[in-house]
Amino acid sequence: MNYDLLRITAGVIATIGLYSVLWKENKFYRFFEHVFLGLAAGWTMVALWTETLKANWWDKMVGTPAETGSVATNGMYAYALLIPFGLMGYFVFSKKHNWISRIPIGIILGLWSGQQIQVWWNTYGPQIDATLKPILPTTWDSLIVPSTNGLTPEQLSQVQSQIYFSQAVNNFLFTITVVSVLSYFLFSFEVKNKAVKGINTMGRYLLMIGFGAIFGSTVMMRFTLLIDRMHFIWIEWLRDGVFPFISGR
Amino acid sequence: MKGNLGEKLQSLPKPILYLILILATSIPLFFPTEVPNEPVESTKDFYATLMALPEGSKVLLMSDWTGSTRGESKGAFRSIFKILIRRKAKVAIYSAADPQAPRVAQDAINELNMERKRKNLPTFDRWNDWVNIGYFPNAEAAINGIANDLKGAFGGRKDFPPNSPPRDVFQSPVLQGVTKVEDFPLMLVITASKTSNFAVERVSGRTPLAFAVTGVMVPETQVFYQSKQIVGYCGGLKGVYDLEQLMESGVNFPDKATGKIKSDKLGTIEGFPDPDNKGQGTRYYPTLHYALALMIIMIILGNVGMFLAKRGDKS
Repeated sequence: MNYDLLRITAGVIATIGLYSVLWKENKFYRFFEHVFLGLAAGWTMVALWTETLKANWWDKMVGTPAETGSVATNGMYAYALLIPFGLMGYFVFSKKHNWISRIPIGIILGLWSGQQIQVWWNTYGPQIDATLKPILPTTWDSLIVPSTNGLTPEQLSQVQSQIYFSQAVNNFLFTITVVSVLSYFLFSFEVKNKAVKGINTMGRYLLMIGFGAIFGSTVMMRFTLLIDRMHFIWIEWLRDGVFPFISGR
Repeated sequence: MKGNLGEKLQSLPKPILYLILILATSIPLFFPTEVPNEPVESTKDFYATLMALPEGSKVLLMSDWTGSTRGESKGAFRSIFKILIRRKAKVAIYSAADPQAPRVAQDAINELNMERKRKNLPTFDRWNDWVNIGYFPNAEAAINGIANDLKGAFGGRKDFPPNSPPRDVFQSPVLQGVTKVEDFPLMLVITASKTSNFAVERVSGRTPLAFAVTGVMVPETQVFYQSKQIVGYCGGLKGVYDLEQLMESGVNFPDKATGKIKSDKLGTIEGFPDPDNKGQGTRYYPTLHYALALMIIMIILGNVGMFLAKRGDKS
């Protein structure tokens, strides 16, 4: 019995079942949808226990015996206090006592909020810094960045320290984009000044170009996932699995 | 289908369109071709970072992809591991986006090992070369713990030494001597979700970060790359194709004049030609062009149809 082929065949049937919704809603699709949801839920429950709760909570609470290469650890029964604390969250379903659920939620929110200043700066600080770009060229020796083929390290660092015209144009476009997009959001009230209005409109168009790029890469990704499924069916299953099995290779 | 040509063009039956799409994404898979390509700077930097790792380096890898993005993420994962194995790196893997992710990563490494066995190459062994630290729910809290208290975050986690019961991951050769996130010279994130953002929020500035992301995440990841918050990234199928070509040809290799892939910014980075370098990226990238061409044709047909229908209404 070729178990690998059986496994892949099951995958192919599930793939066809899920794609059958493209034709119309049907029971074949529903069946595989429920199989998928059931498997994912079951896997998650087991993983939560084996990979998280056991290691991070249960073993620490009850202690662990000595094993090869590790000594026994004593249990810390204070971890048991986390049970009622966690259960308080479920009071969100009670109309009368749902205030209890706000206690653990409030603590989690407080811890999260306290970290956000550092998080914000870590995320946006370097981006703000990278936005400040020189828009005037520092040299007119060449309009574009010259090739660095065969340059000595000193010559290379000299080339890299200059702002060439092409770089300045790039930086200018970048700066204009940042300013106009920011102005689109900052002045989202009635704007009467014609110049600001123009910048706002430009910001809107530039945002559209950005959204277009995001949409384009999303479409490419979705196509890639379809190509992978087709490769799975035609190449991995049919060409490399079924045909060799039938021909006895 | 009644009406004039314009109306007909605008109301092609959906099943027919899906059938054409399936044909366009299936037939080219049987006729492998190569698409001319120039790897983007971000992937060149990604490759350069991996190739610059000293032999035996310890790498922290957040693997947050599953079967749903296999088309892109598996190709990236396999290419990255081929390079890491070549650099004799030791890899600590954990996941924070999906409970299935650790198993998916494990299966992908097993597949690579089977291929290496067939070629009589040494395998990349669990426990000695890589450890599976497992799944952490709540990606944000998990990475915060890893950034601030690595020992506490990974404490109690176990993995399997060869032919032995599970043992504490810190006893493995991979994590020996590691006490904080800064002890890893590189943190890699292979993800199909926002977990890469959490890595930037919590780990950037502590240790270099490099990402392999899905196509839909490329625009937001480019921001992190341009502001130097990450050292490089491999984005979508194009990134995988780039990476496979970089593995084959290197950068400015054997020298800048004759190298197939050139860079003014980077020095000479060797490639390692091998037929196996051509993986998922090389197989899928040409087919993607057929699918995109089909989409462009359909958009044009739809617009022509709309134009003809409007003209028909007027007349």
